[in-house]
Amino acid sequence: MNFETIVGIEIHVEMKTKSKMFSLAPITFGDKPNTEVALLDMAFPGTMPRVNKEAVKNAIRVSNALHMTIDHELWFDRKNYFYSDLPKGYQITQQARPIGSEGYLEIDLDGEKKRIHVERLHMEEDTCMQHHFSDYTLLDYNRAGIPLIEIVSKPEIRSGLEARKYVEKIREIVTYSNVSDGKMEEGSLRCDVNVSIRPYGSEKFGTKVEVKNLNSIANVEKAIDFEAKRQSELLLMGKEVEQETRRFDEAKKETVLMRKKTDAADYKYFTEPNIPPIKLSEEFIQNAIDTCPELYDHKLERFLTDYKLNSIDAKIILSDVEFANYYDEAAKFTKLYQALANYMISEVNGYLNKNDISILEFKVEPKFVAELVELVQSKQINSSQGKEIFAKMVKENKSPLKLQKELGATLISDEETIRKLVLEVLAQNVTLRDDYKAGKTRAQGFVMGQIMKKTGGKVNPGIANKVIVEELKK
Amino acid sequence: MNYLDLTLSEIHEALVNKQVTPLELTKEAIKRAKENKDNAFEMIIEEDAIKRAEELSKHEVPKDNYFYGIPYVAKNNLSTKGYETNASSNILNGYVPLFDATVIDALNKAGAILIGKSTLDELAMGGTGTSGHLGTTYNPYDPKHLHLIGGSSCGSAVAVADSIVPFALGSDTGDSVRKPASHSGLVGLKPTWGLISRFGLFPFAPSLDHVGFFTRSVKDSAIALNLLAFHDDNDSTSSFKPKVDYLKNLSSDVKGKKLAVITEIFNSIEDEAIKSSFLKLIEKLKNDGAIVEYINFDNKLLNAIYPTYMVISCAESTSNNANLDGIKFGPYLGGKTYQEVMYNARTNGFSPLIKRRFVLGSYSLMRENQQELFLRAQKARRLIVNKCNEIFKKFDAIILPASPTPAPLEKGSNEKVRNDYLAADNWLAIGNFGGFPSITLPMGFEDELPFGVNITCEPFNEVGMFNIASNVEKNTGFAGLSYQNHLEKEVK
Amino acid sequence: MKKVNKDVLKDAANRLYFDMTDDQYETLLEEFDTIQSEFELMGQIVGVDEATPMTFPFDVSIDYLRDDVPEEPLKAEDVLKNAGNVKDGQIKLPKVVG
Repeated sequence: MNFETIVGIEIHVEMKTKSKMFSLAPITFGDKPNTEVALLDMAFPGTMPRVNKEAVKNAIRVSNALHMTIDHELWFDRKNYFYSDLPKGYQITQQARPIGSEGYLEIDLDGEKKRIHVERLHMEEDTCMQHHFSDYTLLDYNRAGIPLIEIVSKPEIRSGLEARKYVEKIREIVTYSNVSDGKMEEGSLRCDVNVSIRPYGSEKFGTKVEVKNLNSIANVEKAIDFEAKRQSELLLMGKEVEQETRRFDEAKKETVLMRKKTDAADYKYFTEPNIPPIKLSEEFIQNAIDTCPELYDHKLERFLTDYKLNSIDAKIILSDVEFANYYDEAAKFTKLYQALANYMISEVNGYLNKNDISILEFKVEPKFVAELVELVQSKQINSSQGKEIFAKMVKENKSPLKLQKELGATLISDEETIRKLVLEVLAQNVTLRDDYKAGKTRAQGFVMGQIMKKTGGKVNPGIANKVIVEELKK
Repeated sequence: MNYLDLTLSEIHEALVNKQVTPLELTKEAIKRAKENKDNAFEMIIEEDAIKRAEELSKHEVPKDNYFYGIPYVAKNNLSTKGYETNASSNILNGYVPLFDATVIDALNKAGAILIGKSTLDELAMGGTGTSGHLGTTYNPYDPKHLHLIGGSSCGSAVAVADSIVPFALGSDTGDSVRKPASHSGLVGLKPTWGLISRFGLFPFAPSLDHVGFFTRSVKDSAIALNLLAFHDDNDSTSSFKPKVDYLKNLSSDVKGKKLAVITEIFNSIEDEAIKSSFLKLIEKLKNDGAIVEYINFDNKLLNAIYPTYMVISCAESTSNNANLDGIKFGPYLGGKTYQEVMYNARTNGFSPLIKRRFVLGSYSLMRENQQELFLRAQKARRLIVNKCNEIFKKFDAIILPASPTPAPLEKGSNEKVRNDYLAADNWLAIGNFGGFPSITLPMGFEDELPFGVNITCEPFNEVGMFNIASNVEKNTGFAGLSYQNHLEKEVK
Repeated sequence: MKKVNKDVLKDAANRLYFDMTDDQYETLLEEFDTIQSEFELMGQIVGVDEATPMTFPFDVSIDYLRDDVPEEPLKAEDVLKNAGNVKDGQIKLPKVVG
């Protein structure tokens, strides 16, 4: 019997706002434990939540990118449960009225578009971080209260591959809209997937298994494929799939049981009485959308039409939003778009990889990269001079034009100087003119080779060619 | 006579005229606090208060800065930086907040001197003043300690009624300021929900919680509200309404004012002294030009007040107090697992009464019960508030006895959920349901125990409320009433 | 409304991470009797089922949101000052499993 895999995905995205969802504690990530904590984050009695405007804007932007209906009034609820990482004993979330509802995104399957519907998007707050040791656990409240967006898909995903594409798309939206780092390895994008299977043609859903702790997009795909296989083997053996929570074991590449699920937990939701309903005006919502940083699809379109980049290069540049933004900035200073793209992909990217840094840590102004591309392309310098200037530029963040002077990295462009060199070569090789006139164009290359040799390659090849031809024709 | 026996505004005048200094007042207040036998204090703040009073005494007392140099007391569920704030619950023993509640901060800035933190019913979840971890708080009007003062703001009421301070902060979720005020001959106010910031008030049921306070005159109440009513960014429910000068607008002219007496409530009162005192007061109000009408509310709605209050307040409180787990603050009692840590802290930290309330609240919120309990309570709340709003369309205020009896005896009183409560015993909670401004002030005495009258108005009509209260005060002659003053009058 | 019994209440209490003595459960059962019968009576109030549940005492809706500007955080030692079990600048608990 053949089974169809049914997958629904819940994604938690940690926002990169400057302050927390409901408190004014700063968020910088990676700081010492308990140094980014406000009164509310410790649930001290009498502290009260204050909704972060930027977090709301972020939620609007992502809702919009997912074609969702945006609620014009914000309501928050309490989700009540006890856990060691939950300071207040409840989490403030949006249960009854999520800010975004009923949207979709499209994934690309071998050129075919498939629409996956998104049920809801809401804002909530993160819990504190637990560091587990051999026989105790330490609590770091820096993470407590960081704004989260939760995005819940409809169970319309049918394979590990589709799930991967779905998560990639969400990741692309939240990173391009500058809402989140979207790093699964670091936990700023977290996936819980619900997997069930059913015989093809059946309308009824099978028993759902939840898989947690997926720390990379590749693992999402692997976990789902493994889980689908595990479940179908169970059914084929006449066994039942049990409702449970499993986690993905990266080493074994399989899902392992965490706990059996009893009846669904009761979170005793009720409206958060400390946050009044907040009306969002049409202008506010529209403004949040209008000021949203450019999303991937739009940027790609623009790179192909405005910069006329080939699609492979464009996609390479767009694979990292910050890299793409850098390219955009540099492109303001040159019209040599494809050359700039080539340079960014080979030279700049090579440098980043070699030093294991991100483009955000690359301290050279985009304008300077553009200038350098211009210098090389106009053959005012040769490629080894280009490399020399680049090496100094990344250290000093100075204009390549300045560096060119400092390094004396110029080419001989004066026609008369070049002519003198050419004439010297011709004088030593008297047959060259006749060879040339007899159609042996190789002579031209020979002369060029000789003068390059004499000058250590520092002759402007364009001008030299012109002079060589003139002299050979004489 | 001592200056502490005067009202806040009178003390202020004496300060301005240099008849007394903040230091003298503070020393006397601390002395009286120590002498008091009614179990009013969780903590008396002596050293710091005197230091501060000395500093304040070095300067000229600014005129019209009514709180400058005034000793005061705060209920121990208001966060005070550096001073243990435990809401009279063992689970918060030893908790020393890192911050001041907004109201504490405002009083500090105005130059008021905090001399003590007062007792309350545990976590403010009671109405008798018997359930705090230090035991029963008694009524200063009964030195034999047979009578209660009521709660939950019991200690603060004692502090003002016994002339320890002229002003004390409380909190009011059902009637926790206005009921003890009735039992202790005080002016007890809770203004419109959102008018005074709740930041730093330990939450019991936020949708019903209010910061309120006790004074010995209506004028003092208006003065205090002038100081404490302002928008506070730290409380998202804090009102953005422009400031009103309640003192400047204080008038006792009630000509043409329409007052509603809810018939069913008045009729349920059996205490003859209270009934006749109230009827006499109504006659006086009428003589001053007020129009008083008896109206019907709806007995079913009135009977719903108590259960509605119980379910909503307990449901919200079980969530608000879920932060009390022994992990971040409060006694850590250990355990083999984190669950045991929480279990030990909570089992030992809460009294049986509080636990029962939490179970009731939590049960009401459970998925299978929410529709029939919590949501039904929220729906009944709406109907009750709608009914009140209908009344406020036609009337300036509702006026009724604040309590059907004077202070109750300790013997026989308990906090058990019962079904024989009178609507007259619970009606003040409608002020919390609708967030209405509501003030209790003394109306009369029975067997040496005071009882009060209450005036409740529509949201943000504090001016109208003070107006009527001021006329009542004029007619009763009880401005400045305290236990000491009452005794002196008796002697004369 | 279905009747509550001691087991239901004990389970509810345990889910709130505390326990009570047997006589407290007895008292609580009596209290539930009262509350439940009163709520049944409330069900007879005309219009109660159709009413919108009320959280806020009146229309308190606002159109204001806090700007995303952080404030100085607490000092780490202050964060932990009131905690009873601390190690290496963090709150310590028995090992949390699952």
